[in-house]
Amino acid sequence: MRIVGIRRSTSLAAAAVLVAAGLSACSNSASSSPSVLTVWDYEAADSAMGVAWAQAVKDFEKAHPGVTVKVQLKTFDQIQKGGAMLLNSSNAPDVLEYNKGDATAGLLSKEGLLTDLTPEVAKYGWDRKITGNVAVTSRYTNGVMGSGDWYGIPDYAEYAMVYYNKDMFEKYGVAVPTTFDQFVAALQTFASKGITPLASAGNDYPAQQYLYDLALMKADSSWVTAYQTGGKADFTDAAWTWAANTFQQWVDKGYIAKDTVSSTSTDMGTAFEQGKSPMMVSGSWWYGTFESEVKSFSWGSFLWPGAQHVPGSGGNIWVVPAKAHNKDLAYDFINDTLQPDIQNLIANKGAVPVAADPTQVTDPMAKTLISQYQSLAASDSLAFYPDWPVSGFYNDLISQTQNLMNGSSPGQVLSALQTAYQQGLSQ
Amino acid sequence: MAQATALEDARPDSLRRPRRPRRPRRVGRQSSGGGRAGRTPISYLALVVLGALALAMVAPFVLVVMNGVKTSTDYAAHGPLSVPQSLSLANLQTFWQQVDFGQVLVNSVLISACVAVFAVLLSILSAYALGIGRIKGRTTILVLFLLANLLPQEALIYPLYYLANQLGLYDTRLVVIIIFTVIQSAFGTYLLSSVLGAFPRELLEAARIDGAGVWRILWRIVVPISRPTITVMLTFFFIWTWNEFLIPLVLLPSNQNETVPVALGLAQGEHMVDVTMQAASALLGIFPAIVFFLIFQRTLSRGITLGAIK
Repeated sequence: MRIVGIRRSTSLAAAAVLVAAGLSACSNSASSSPSVLTVWDYEAADSAMGVAWAQAVKDFEKAHPGVTVKVQLKTFDQIQKGGAMLLNSSNAPDVLEYNKGDATAGLLSKEGLLTDLTPEVAKYGWDRKITGNVAVTSRYTNGVMGSGDWYGIPDYAEYAMVYYNKDMFEKYGVAVPTTFDQFVAALQTFASKGITPLASAGNDYPAQQYLYDLALMKADSSWVTAYQTGGKADFTDAAWTWAANTFQQWVDKGYIAKDTVSSTSTDMGTAFEQGKSPMMVSGSWWYGTFESEVKSFSWGSFLWPGAQHVPGSGGNIWVVPAKAHNKDLAYDFINDTLQPDIQNLIANKGAVPVAADPTQVTDPMAKTLISQYQSLAASDSLAFYPDWPVSGFYNDLISQTQNLMNGSSPGQVLSALQTAYQQGLSQ
Repeated sequence: MAQATALEDARPDSLRRPRRPRRPRRVGRQSSGGGRAGRTPISYLALVVLGALALAMVAPFVLVVMNGVKTSTDYAAHGPLSVPQSLSLANLQTFWQQVDFGQVLVNSVLISACVAVFAVLLSILSAYALGIGRIKGRTTILVLFLLANLLPQEALIYPLYYLANQLGLYDTRLVVIIIFTVIQSAFGTYLLSSVLGAFPRELLEAARIDGAGVWRILWRIVVPISRPTITVMLTFFFIWTWNEFLIPLVLLPSNQNETVPVALGLAQGEHMVDVTMQAASALLGIFPAIVFFLIFQRTLSRGITLGAIK
């Protein structure tokens, strides 16, 4: 009995200590002071934006003596799932990197949780740096992106390009294609040597982007607008019909491996990095990763030959929560991240800056990136992503692209997509 | 004191002194040659199958360890299944520094331990009323408790957030402790009250005749005798709370309050997964769980047969 008693009292004491620690540690963390600017983002410290923004913080602190910037590194998931609740509380930071799109920034702008940045856009001249289709994700009317007041400012953009393995191109005597026919010929050259030319992934965004890449071959600006924001997609039109048929042919001819139907984007990246496939068509978000990780061969990139439009958009955006405590400092900070030196840092680390100064960039890889982007931006060629028009469309696209890879008829697949698109619109 | 001793002796043998007799028995079994001589082809087959199963169980850990100590260049060139070219602890270090993992560990331990202790206390009190006190409508209450436990957290999250925000407890560890104490004790009450429902009535009567009140019976008789069940609950509540993801993710937005599973999401971006970093973070994330398992493995394996003993 005594032994039991002693054991119980120690465990009770331990519990008491824990409780005391718990309560004392649970004091509220919300604090506001005009000398502290809180910035939350989800870019890893060694990523392009991570490095550039760390420099922006230094510049900002130098220009604002007595102000400390407190940066917290969040995860994408955290902001995606808990962002709305965070912004509705008094714990909201002063500046937050937030996810672009109707379901995130759009919804919150409608609920009044984001500060309308339109006066600041005019004051700082941000609209001269963020133009055309890149500005689409910054402006929301009644929660729908495209036009209206400014609620977010992107520091970077994204676009799809063809990454290629220079060593393999040289080995098989393939030149960088400048027309679509040359591109297909290059695919055939590799396929006839038993190499899958294009790395892909059916169970993730890559395969549907291939399909969209193909559809964009036959698309003009009005087609993109009708599909993305007009709610008038016609999956029986020439563009989609040709895209679905061509995509299926490419799978049949082995340009895209059939067994990638269930793989993820990470598998796709690995296939390219290991030199299993000489080409991969995907977003600029791979650029920095390949720069730091690919050491065993040299690689480069070119734009999809012959296309007027490529998938792409402005990146995720800086927002100022309506409940932010230091809004004026917040605007100044956002402006700092758009300065040429910070923007060039972004390019040097392999991401696409929205307002870089190409004359100041020396790194040839970064130069390519900036010049490709600027030519796309100048001709308004960014066509966003295939899943944007209606919510939940991403999963429909995945399953229908997989069906296409598995041999369903293109007609069936396209009519299923049309149904899902219409259902999504009517919601 | 004499009463207590008498009661102690009345405990079923299996509940008393659970630890001591085990070790010598196990050693004895191994040293006796009889078992080996009696092995049939079937037992060899079973050995092979079990060995394969064990390998399948260990394989993910091996992968995590291998990729966690690889450089990302090495990963890019040779893929996930290759042996690391050189041992690199850079990923582990970077992850630890980026998320301030020491603080994250403290948060997780604090939250899980508080929840385990509070939820067990709450479960004991309510299960005592339901299982031994046999209050009216106890089945209804138990079903309600169980329902609360079955509700998906996604359905609870917004109301919980709203309450927390109204009370000024949003982004405090206290609110997560309160929520999980309630959730875990709902299940704890359900489990413990069915265990206490089969509690030997004679013991309670003997205690009552000896003049023990309701409170005394609980702490001097019911709790000590049910200790095996309670320790199992304590460890399970700790682990379950440790592994919780959604509620801490949403209710603890700032870094100084983050828990381990939430911090592990850092390697996963919008389009990209930093595989080596993810492996390194997983390695750091499972390490405390392994330590915990090694400390409490006896209790845990007892937990698996808990329903059977009752």
